[in-house]
Amino acid sequence: MRDAFSSCNPLVNFVFFAAVLVITVFFLHPVLLGISLVSALAYSIYLNGAKAVRFNFALLLPLMLVAAFINPAFNHAGMTILLYVDGNPITLEAILRGVAAAVMIGSVIVWFSCYNTIMTSDKFLYLFGRIIPAFSLILSMALRFIPRYKAQLGKIADAQRGIGRGVSQGRLVARVRNGLSILSILVTWALENAIEMADSMKSRGYGLKGRTAYSNYGFDVRDRVLLAVLLVSFSLVVASIALQGVSIDYFPVFIMNPQGGLAYMAYAGYTLICLMPLLLDSKEELTWRSLQSRI
Amino acid sequence: MALFAIENLRFTYPGSVSPALDGINLTVENGEFLVLCGKSGCGKSTLLRQLKTVLTPHGEREGSIFFKGQPLESATQRSQAASIGFVLQNPDNQIVTDKVWHELAFGLESLGESKEVIRLRVAEMASFFGIQQWYHKSVFELSGGQKQLLNLAAVMTMQPDVLILDEPTAQLDPIAAADFLATIKKINTEIGTTVILSEHRLEEVLHGADRAIVLGDGRIIAEGTPAQVGHTLKMLDDPMLYAMPTPLRVYLALETGDKDTCPVTVREGREYLSRRERQKECPKERQEEPQRGRQGVRQKSSPLDASDKQTVVAVKDAWFRYTKHGEDVLRGLSFTVSRGELFCIVGGNGTGKTTALGIVSGLRRPYRGTVSCLEKGVVVLPQDPQTLFTQKTIREDLLEMLPQGKNTVGEVEKQLAEVVELTEIAALLSQHPYDVSGGEQQRVALAKVLLTEPELLLLDEPTKGMDSFFKRKFARILNKLCDKDLTAIMVSHDLEFCAQYASRCALFFDGSIVTQSNPRVFFSGNNFYTTAANRMSRHVFADAITVEDIVEKCRQAHD
Repeated sequence: MRDAFSSCNPLVNFVFFAAVLVITVFFLHPVLLGISLVSALAYSIYLNGAKAVRFNFALLLPLMLVAAFINPAFNHAGMTILLYVDGNPITLEAILRGVAAAVMIGSVIVWFSCYNTIMTSDKFLYLFGRIIPAFSLILSMALRFIPRYKAQLGKIADAQRGIGRGVSQGRLVARVRNGLSILSILVTWALENAIEMADSMKSRGYGLKGRTAYSNYGFDVRDRVLLAVLLVSFSLVVASIALQGVSIDYFPVFIMNPQGGLAYMAYAGYTLICLMPLLLDSKEELTWRSLQSRI
Repeated sequence: MALFAIENLRFTYPGSVSPALDGINLTVENGEFLVLCGKSGCGKSTLLRQLKTVLTPHGEREGSIFFKGQPLESATQRSQAASIGFVLQNPDNQIVTDKVWHELAFGLESLGESKEVIRLRVAEMASFFGIQQWYHKSVFELSGGQKQLLNLAAVMTMQPDVLILDEPTAQLDPIAAADFLATIKKINTEIGTTVILSEHRLEEVLHGADRAIVLGDGRIIAEGTPAQVGHTLKMLDDPMLYAMPTPLRVYLALETGDKDTCPVTVREGREYLSRRERQKECPKERQEEPQRGRQGVRQKSSPLDASDKQTVVAVKDAWFRYTKHGEDVLRGLSFTVSRGELFCIVGGNGTGKTTALGIVSGLRRPYRGTVSCLEKGVVVLPQDPQTLFTQKTIREDLLEMLPQGKNTVGEVEKQLAEVVELTEIAALLSQHPYDVSGGEQQRVALAKVLLTEPELLLLDEPTKGMDSFFKRKFARILNKLCDKDLTAIMVSHDLEFCAQYASRCALFFDGSIVTQSNPRVFFSGNNFYTTAANRMSRHVFADAITVEDIVEKCRQAHD
């Protein structure tokens, strides 16, 4: 599907995911975690539709339940003892900490499913190609090799089967030998053909001094605004944390910060960050509709 | 000032006694379109690779090459990279990156151009080549023809003075090849880039060329306009004559004089035949029904006398698709093949021809319909011979195919010797299979497949990348085998080959066979999908489908 956020400069995409994940992973605050999980679910369903719903419920929910149960089973710290199992105390604090960890793992996984959709290989290359130019080319070549080798492996397997040397033909020993020879053909083929690729690279000046890295991305006003919003909101959340506006202690007793101005500032800032892609899309959707209706 | 001037060039590969190139003198002018031809292994690639220092193979070189008046060696790598563009044979091997846009930018990135310059040049080239629609695609989604076009565009972004192409269409199907060659011609006429092209498909390229050069054993044996080259080859009685375009071959076979007006295109060929007919008043054959192909010239068996032979393959109403919800690739395919036939399936790209071979060999199973085929002795010669080679030398590779232990050493050697003699690869046995040329690899692959003593041979595009000289040899081998009651089913784009050597041809379209009959009826019944010889002569003769047919009929009409 067409998503407005993925059309932004990769730097904006990357800073967004970094900001969201840093706060989710390093700060197990219930409110912030809640914001993170809900926005992650909303965005993943928005991006990937029914597939995301199925994934979230069939795989993620059991995983989170397991994570939530594991902590109180092994962690017995905390003051509020609820019951004893086999002489081991189960504490309220450990349960809460387990739930927080489960929510954290769940949101990280869902955020990464969004990351995979948004940060395509070219964007990744664009970001890191600046730092290490050779790396970006190697990665791009690797991404070309994988589908190519896969296709060639299929061709070789078919060809070997066509002359009676397939992996499903003959006795077990013969099958293993056939399988190995298929792999050996692939390796020989890859090495031989790499020579021609090297020729093609040299012929187009690879190895000359001063190689540059080209990209299709520009950095426009929208990217600047979004980046500024991200950085300001992130600073607000961090400032609030630094000033103890939001804080959390699970052990020995569960103590959350009192709700006040500083806390609300952190919640608002983090919500703004997490919902940014969805807000951006809604805005562009509205603009689109109003443009349509004006015609 | 000439763009390239080659003087007394002689080149010897290390460890080789005889030179690969000898006594080459050649000048290439600015803006020229030069076609280099010659049979496989005659030194075409070696010569082309001398023209760019980074691609020159190791070896001993004498003589000199001047580029724009300066010795080539004195031109910097940077200026050579930009001003001498090189496109190689295999479309896949030349692509470096995973995205189309990145590939286009690759050369300019190497030259260290700024982002703005790259953006402009890439945009220009993408527009010129019509690449905009697939600009953001991954390379592996492209077809072979698109890949080769991308390779060309990626070189053109550097704005070269000269474009050197080493058999660029050898791996493409005819439609993609024609598109590609038309693009080359467009670059030459509209941008003025000098083009040096080596090519087997002379039919499509020669008429656009200013000059043709024929290499033979490392020497230039003919040079000049296509017509002049034709005359020289005829005088020398060189086998390269068979590679010339059909109209030119007809003309050279019929005329003795040394005229400059040689027909090269089909249109000129038609005009020539009409003219000849008027002059000589050769009585026009009545346009009788082409179905009565009276002279069953080379065709060993027409479907009539094949019918009493044993049926080897029978496919009935076969339906096949690759994925459950995918498109049907085969839609009610039915055909039968009898023992000793060479059955050729022709048709466009992606119509399911290769899949049809797959269901005969048992590699794929139809979800509806039946396939009955021999239980054993069915082998496939794949499109890419490199998918077959497993050993370090060709001899070991062939020996590996023979059952060990059962036969005595003497028997094994005898069997090997027979196949080696048939495929004429005796001289190659000690080499590594990857070190011999493409046509030779094809022959080794055939030998390897024949060692299994097949009764049914399935061939997937065997003539792809073969030169016309070896095609004749290959056809002889196939016909010899078919005489010994081997059956062959061949999938091909090569209409000329099928017309000449098949015992039966079938047109594949949209997942099934539309029409089938012996080549004479088949090709004279088609209007567009037929051989150049038929297109050129159909207004005069009802059923001439090869050069030999036309020549024979013209001579008959005379006497």
